Amino acid sequence: MDENLTRQLSIQAVDPGIDALSTFEHGLVEGMNRAGKLFETEEHFIPELLLCPDGMYAGLEILRPHLKREEKEVRRKVVIGVVEGDTHDIGKKLVKIMLEASGFEIVDVGRDIPPQRFVDEAIKVQASVIALSTLMTTTMDGMADVIQLLQKANLRDRFKVIGGGGPIAQSFADRIGADGYASGAPAAVKLVKNLVGEAAR
Amino acid sequence: MSRDRLTPIERFAAYSRGEALDRLPCVPIVGNTAARVLGVKVSEFRGNGRLIADAQIAAYRRFGYDVIRIFTDLYTQAEAMGARVHYPEDETAYLAEPAISAAEQIASLRPADPCKDGNLPHHLEAMERAFQAVGKEVPVTGALTGPFTTATFLIGMENLVRLTLKNPAAVHQLCEGAYQGALLYAGAILDTGCTPSLTDAMCSTTVISPKQFKEFGQPYLKRLVEFIHRRGRSVTLHICGKTAPIWDAMAGTGADCLSIDNAADLQAAKSKVGQRVRLMGNVPPSEVMLQGTVAGVRESVRRCVRKAHDNPKGFIVASGCSLPVETPFSNIDAMLDAVREIGWPVDGDALERELPS
Repeated sequence: MDENLTRQLSIQAVDPGIDALSTFEHGLVEGMNRAGKLFETEEHFIPELLLCPDGMYAGLEILRPHLKREEKEVRRKVVIGVVEGDTHDIGKKLVKIMLEASGFEIVDVGRDIPPQRFVDEAIKVQASVIALSTLMTTTMDGMADVIQLLQKANLRDRFKVIGGGGPIAQSFADRIGADGYASGAPAAVKLVKNLVGEAAR
Repeated sequence: MSRDRLTPIERFAAYSRGEALDRLPCVPIVGNTAARVLGVKVSEFRGNGRLIADAQIAAYRRFGYDVIRIFTDLYTQAEAMGARVHYPEDETAYLAEPAISAAEQIASLRPADPCKDGNLPHHLEAMERAFQAVGKEVPVTGALTGPFTTATFLIGMENLVRLTLKNPAAVHQLCEGAYQGALLYAGAILDTGCTPSLTDAMCSTTVISPKQFKEFGQPYLKRLVEFIHRRGRSVTLHICGKTAPIWDAMAGTGADCLSIDNAADLQAAKSKVGQRVRLMGNVPPSEVMLQGTVAGVRESVRRCVRKAHDNPKGFIVASGCSLPVETPFSNIDAMLDAVREIGWPVDGDALERELPS
């Protein structure tokens, strides 16, 4: 989704005869979804996917004054972050982009995040899912710490916990008692949808 | 090594001549795990070439593998050009802050001087000491980070991947600077007696497209390989993650051996480029070597050997990437033992029968 082109098209789409919400959903969101599919089939790569939100937000800026109805539905929330000791956040960013495009509300707590922060934030925003990311073997045990904190607080059943990143595999997710593992951003969207039921809203 | 008939150098020489071996070459890629062999903290390697060499030599003697690679992290060259690296007390270092934050600053970067900038002199000292000590029996290599990957550390990963689409000329300017630094360092590595071992992690198709690799990665790698070849050495090229769409281009750099990550398939690599390059790989470093059992390591080694032992240009059993620091010694031993058990000649039919495909 090219930033300038998306802006131009959004300007053209501002028309009394066209519902802005429809432009948003069938234009911008659909564009993001298609970018996600192209990423999945390896026609798009990280650079293309990282630039997509630039296009979406440029379009949204044009459409926003015309979006008469604010979205009233409560969207499902996902708290996402990179575990403590790790600052690699490209993977987390890609998952965030794809989940956002799928309609989830993302609370990005950032990188190098202590386990308790994930728990506190998930309680505060009433999240459905806690998504944990790391690229390093030295920090992956931080994912297990989050789950243990939830268990200690008798909160384990309130949140689905998922993990991903270079050193993570399904076997690790199983071992620490996570609800799921995804090998990449498109797989993470499917996983989250499966865990919370199809609808993001 | 008394447990093997041949020294690593004898083994590689016999392998290249097509003669009988005692076993396939085997390289668990030991980096900072070497600190555990000496019982020192990883951070003690910083600025201490003698300690890096001692640890790497001790690890080689402890496990009896076939290549020593002087390596602590991928950031050494970027650090020497101004990037800030964080050194945890007892874990592998990581990038704290890139050298620059915008394309306009690229012109301010200077290629590092291997004799005085950052930790380069200490790594060179480690290479020289290791080569002097055991270079007659085992190949000693020095890690050389590829220009594109160093470029991501110089300006930041996200900045760089954005620039690949928005300002390709700036990316080339940055890669050229990183290349000039890598060239000087490669020359200095060769002067120690060691051979540069190329890693270009960010060129993976997990990150950039094959087209971008051909534009921003391959040309600079090719020039480095040509330089090393002119000095009479063969070169191994490692790219992390998925690489299947760029195997042709990787072989096109002129590299003699491709190190294949566990995210890619050895059998497919063999079909695609096995006539042109030796292959090494690809026991999973995290899932199998760090977290797996001795039995799991053995099974993984046998799977790799089954897929690639008959690679036309030869095959080295290796981990798919550098091993995590805390990899259990028992799993590294298991990797070597599994290769010894398979022995020579490799009975491909037997391996075929025992494993479901």
